[in-house]
Amino acid sequence: MEKMKRSNSSLGSAEFLTRLLAALLCFGTAFSQQSLETDFRTTGARVVAVFEPQRQVIQQSSAVIYQGRKEIAYGVVVSADGYILTKASEVEEVSNIVVRVDKKLFKDAKVVVTDANWDVALLKVDATELVPVIYASDSKLDQGTWVVVNGVTSRTRRRVLGGVISAKAREIPAAGGPALGVQLKTDEDRLEVQAVSEGSGAEEAGMKEGDVITSVEGKKVKEIKALVELLKEKKAGDVVKVSLKRDGKKIELDVKLSAKGELFANKSRNDQMSGDYSKRRSGFPRVIQHDILGASETMGGPVIDLEGRVVGMNIARANRAETFAIPVEELKNLAEGMVAQARK
Amino acid sequence: MRRLLTSLSLGFAVALIPASLLAFSLNAKKAPESAEDLMMIQEALQAALPKAKAATIGIDLGDGSGSGVIVSKDGLVMTAAHVSGGVGKDVEVVMPDGSKLKAETLGLMAETDAALIQITEENPDGGDFPFVEVNKTDEAKLGDWIFSLGHSGGFDKERGVVVRLARLVRMANTTIQTDGTLIGGDSGGPLFDMDGRLIGIHSRVGQRLPVNMHVPVRVFLDSWDKMLKSEFVGEGPFAKQEKKGSGFLGVATKGVEGGLEITKVGKKTPAEEAGLKEGDLLHTFNGEKLETRDGMKALLAEMAAGDKLALEITRDGKDETIELKLGKR
Repeated sequence: MEKMKRSNSSLGSAEFLTRLLAALLCFGTAFSQQSLETDFRTTGARVVAVFEPQRQVIQQSSAVIYQGRKEIAYGVVVSADGYILTKASEVEEVSNIVVRVDKKLFKDAKVVVTDANWDVALLKVDATELVPVIYASDSKLDQGTWVVVNGVTSRTRRRVLGGVISAKAREIPAAGGPALGVQLKTDEDRLEVQAVSEGSGAEEAGMKEGDVITSVEGKKVKEIKALVELLKEKKAGDVVKVSLKRDGKKIELDVKLSAKGELFANKSRNDQMSGDYSKRRSGFPRVIQHDILGASETMGGPVIDLEGRVVGMNIARANRAETFAIPVEELKNLAEGMVAQARK
Repeated sequence: MRRLLTSLSLGFAVALIPASLLAFSLNAKKAPESAEDLMMIQEALQAALPKAKAATIGIDLGDGSGSGVIVSKDGLVMTAAHVSGGVGKDVEVVMPDGSKLKAETLGLMAETDAALIQITEENPDGGDFPFVEVNKTDEAKLGDWIFSLGHSGGFDKERGVVVRLARLVRMANTTIQTDGTLIGGDSGGPLFDMDGRLIGIHSRVGQRLPVNMHVPVRVFLDSWDKMLKSEFVGEGPFAKQEKKGSGFLGVATKGVEGGLEITKVGKKTPAEEAGLKEGDLLHTFNGEKLETRDGMKALLAEMAAGDKLALEITRDGKDETIELKLGKR
């Protein structure tokens, strides 16, 4: 494993990787006799079997969210009549959301409320007898406390994975502040788009090279400084109205702000070794952290303690070694507030 | 009834056995079978964490970061060779409270990724450094529960050191593999048994998340004296020795009566950082008399980046000795 941010070292990354691969290959053959059976590894069937009581909670109260047949997220069942919380950035733009709770499939699930601050969406499915989660009294868990989450899933059966609280609860500031996700020409006295960043809100909204931004949120902007000042008052995840001129025509777009540090161009070495991490993984008011393996499509589900009570909701696979969850105190407030809003 | 008995006897066992046997007892079963078994693992981990965390430091290398663990009261640190990167280098260690202390890299094993670092400043709290016990018994076995600590992605005071609980899944002469995920910044950090004794140092990862490799403590112990004596053992892949002639000082000189006079000091060079100035008269180079520019060139050609250099000079009529480390050409 290379150190982070090591750029001009004598041991260049490419060379290092080649050597590492060579080392790994030798390793594979030399070890065949000296290896623990898969079933007994931390994520193995014989180990996770001990979490059967917790698995039953997950089976009933952790939803699986699909885009068509593709699993895209998990969810937390928060009411008997079909309200389910999930990770907003994994379900937005998905028109055909399908939800499974226990063995039952619900088609035509709808996003009814979203909270950009926490990246949480409230889904509604047509149900009457779901089993909502039971909240723990608080998330004050010492480092090293067991927690259990939804692991792999099949049509009829949820499997679980266990791990521990791995770091202190804390705020995760937005990586680099809010940005539209465009590069602007600097030598003009107008805001002409030079390039649109891959994966940015600007790209999603359909901004194009050559567009000239004239106003944001109804305020006229002519220079980068003014634009930056305007965006400062916003957060990553907020949607802003952008007016622009394209080929002489006036166009209005709703652009979702990205966190500067999360735009695709900034993929670090640690990101490269992290596999499938969450698109949005920063800008959370407070999180707890655990060490359970997962991928971006396993976010949104409940994190429960050994008593089967919810201590948090998985909100971001931050990297290879760190997963963030919304603490139960904030989660409960969010759920109650969002459901009340939806019922209005 | 049987279940009740099991749980009773386990509770009893936890209370009576000395801490050093806890790991043995919680590893006795191939997999945990009950909530009691899980609690035994959790309690062992939480009992071991405070001491283990206090000794797990960050290592700031300027162009990157790694982790390490203090193993003696006077500040000896075990880490990975690809973190220390060389012998006799100045680095900074970051204590858990965020305070930074000067340190120097000692020896390393370039082929197995083992290295030692010595903290060269006093503990600001006064007294001994927090340190962990090294498990010298080499008794760790497949399936043992273990935990990894490290400053994943770099030191973060708000977050603190990150723990991962996992199992030992493969073993070989110079490598232990566990299924607790590591990432850049964890390199050089400690792998512990459930009694909080050090059994390995984080080294590298595979493509798949559960593939994480550590250098067993045994590798360190086998070459302990060499590393203490600041020897650079082996060649690659985890560290490369600087070659002769790679050393860089950063001055232009002309021959004058009694030595070489500095005519120019390069910006941001080791010479400038050490305080050498235009007009300084250089007399000796690590004790060798300096007479001609070619003479100094020949001496420099025998040295490598990071080597120590002492220069006796005269400035404004006063004699001085300037010490520095050569940069990389």
